[in-house]
Amino acid sequence: AVRDILSPVLRESKFKEHGRITPEEFVAAGDFLAYKFPVWTWEKADPSKTRDFLPADKQFLLTRGVPCLRRATSLAYTDADEDAERMVSVDPSSTNKEDEWVETHAGRPPPIHHNPHDISDIPDADDHDSDHGHHTSSVSKHMAKLSISGAPAAHIPDIDDIPDMEEEGLEGDVDDAAAAPTATSGPSAATEEGKNTNLLSVRTYDVMITYDKHYQTPRIWLYGYDENRRPLKPEQIFEDVSAEHAYKTVTIEQFPHSSLQAASVHPCKHAEVMKKVIERFNAHVLDEQRKANGGLAPPSPAASKGAKEPSKKGWLGGALRKVTGGTSPSTEKTPEPTGTPGAEFVDDSVEGMRVDFYLVVFLKFIASIVPTIEVDSTAAF
Amino acid sequence: MASSAANTGSAKPLLQFTPFSSTVQPAFWHELTNLKIDVLRLSQDAIPIHASYSIGRAVVDRETGMEVALGCNLVVSGDAFKDPKDVKPAPNSVTVRGVLKNFNTIEDFKNVNKQEMFNNTAKEMWAKTLQTGDPSHLFDFLLITFADLKKYKYYYWFAFPAFAASPPWEKQGEWAPAVDVVPIKGLEAIHKAIHSGGSDSSIAAALLAKPSANDPTAYETAPLNKFSDFFAGTPGEKRFVVFPDPSAHSQHVGWPLRNILTYILFNHHQTAAISPSSPLNIIAWRDIDTPSSSSHPPKSLYIKAYVPSLPDTSAVPAAVGWEKNPAGKLGPRMADLAPMMDPKRLADQAV
Repeated sequence: AVRDILSPVLRESKFKEHGRITPEEFVAAGDFLAYKFPVWTWEKADPSKTRDFLPADKQFLLTRGVPCLRRATSLAYTDADEDAERMVSVDPSSTNKEDEWVETHAGRPPPIHHNPHDISDIPDADDHDSDHGHHTSSVSKHMAKLSISGAPAAHIPDIDDIPDMEEEGLEGDVDDAAAAPTATSGPSAATEEGKNTNLLSVRTYDVMITYDKHYQTPRIWLYGYDENRRPLKPEQIFEDVSAEHAYKTVTIEQFPHSSLQAASVHPCKHAEVMKKVIERFNAHVLDEQRKANGGLAPPSPAASKGAKEPSKKGWLGGALRKVTGGTSPSTEKTPEPTGTPGAEFVDDSVEGMRVDFYLVVFLKFIASIVPTIEVDSTAAF
Repeated sequence: MASSAANTGSAKPLLQFTPFSSTVQPAFWHELTNLKIDVLRLSQDAIPIHASYSIGRAVVDRETGMEVALGCNLVVSGDAFKDPKDVKPAPNSVTVRGVLKNFNTIEDFKNVNKQEMFNNTAKEMWAKTLQTGDPSHLFDFLLITFADLKKYKYYYWFAFPAFAASPPWEKQGEWAPAVDVVPIKGLEAIHKAIHSGGSDSSIAAALLAKPSANDPTAYETAPLNKFSDFFAGTPGEKRFVVFPDPSAHSQHVGWPLRNILTYILFNHHQTAAISPSSPLNIIAWRDIDTPSSSSHPPKSLYIKAYVPSLPDTSAVPAAVGWEKNPAGKLGPRMADLAPMMDPKRLADQAV
């Protein structure tokens, strides 16, 4: 934290060169995220914990009640790279693109054998060069450790701690109009179709995004609740973190804008990863833009519609067109980021990915670290 | 309890409601701790708080493709002690008021006459709402707590009083898509009204809708308390009662509807004239985005419901609504924040 306070605020943006962003760009990207996905809102900090390089009413981004249907450990997610691949394969001209974004992990069978190159593109915090094939076993080690250390306490409710005050007589008659508890774990549609879904225990998370001044990147924070909405213990949160990151890049720390502790993904490698992800995404965006320019005339009337009619092109399509020069409500709302790198490109009508998109891309990257927590709002609805 | 299960069989198509599930954010316990130490000290007076519920969400399980309904949650945040006017509400949520009673000892917490507390809350709701015709206290709640500050453990018990109709409401048919009965343009108008109808920039907890006299695809809306004026002269099948539904369950709607129905039954029974042959049209509003035929197919549901016979409108109906604990029993819950707040535990956690 001291480093964070001493670090100078990044003023000049070259987010495509090194993956880092300025506070202004963080605000611009946050505005875009909150505009596009209203589940995200800007929040104020505790008065004593307001950082002056950000507007007082835009200290961090928050979304509440993010569902997490099952444990990452139970799925043995190990191939973070697959998400990045998906992202590049997005084709805004295909009709079903929205689904492509949604189904980042869809229908993926648990990996049977492990390809060591799978995660080479997403650098790991600690062990870049170690043999990634050992990750699965290291997880099971972690899990074994868990079950020994916190065996009875971890999952069984602390019934003994609750004063014995079941009050049978409290509500006299049986209330037929109250629906029998289906439990959050009982998905109605699924149970009706006779599938065994009792294994689902739906956790929810409050997810916060702050700006880390030292690393000059966004930083993600998680606060979890179990299916009975009791606060999750740290070791339970680690069950929702992918194997490569549990106990390494994810730690429990003081949330910078309040007095609470939350799980956080350490941002030391964020810039590096974001640079790679942005490179791919940018190449794709540029490609699309050139196509759009080369083929038809820039669709200016359609561009403003684009954002409003996601059915035709999907939200990405709308956003991409916005990038090509159309006016959409978000462009007006979003302050022009300082030093948008448009000049780097020879073709000045082709600008590539704008910094507004940074957090949307960032969440896709975070989704690979916490694969079962639906932080990627583009998939939420 | 076994006999009750038999009673709830399929004999009568009862309208059923998903009880609220309380979700207390850790920031609330933090605020309560500060309040207890700095302000309340040994006071056990009731404190006004507020909470919110939002339109129920369902997510598609990416592993199975199934839609999973999330809980019918009432969320209490760290802002609960502030004036609701000073708090930015969570998106798509209804702000509700409640009363917190914090006890100094676990014995006080255990021994307080809960039935009496509950009845007093319900009585107050009745007096504030159903006797005056102002529906703003229809969704009040009660929260009792004991904070074990040394152990970072918080014992709590919510009650969401709901007046039980006797005889209970019955369904005519099953829940069906609202778009079957209200055209898309009408749904858009309702969506707009819900989002502009709330106070303090939260959304409206309930509203009324009917097709416009000039253009049957356009819909007019009004707040719930205008029931008698707004629906006078409107035939029963064109009257719609709409409420943002915190439940995403396909068969059961959220708890708030219970008191909305009671309100209509007791305050507007002459206009409503509800009977098996003249049911009430209810729309459980489940659309977060503006419904449209292309991008956001409407998710809201529709049903007809009625009471077999009118209750005695001079008597106060019984209320129910203590929240059950994770074991499914009537009992308090406990939030253990030691792992996230206790400095000693946190030091152990740090590697």
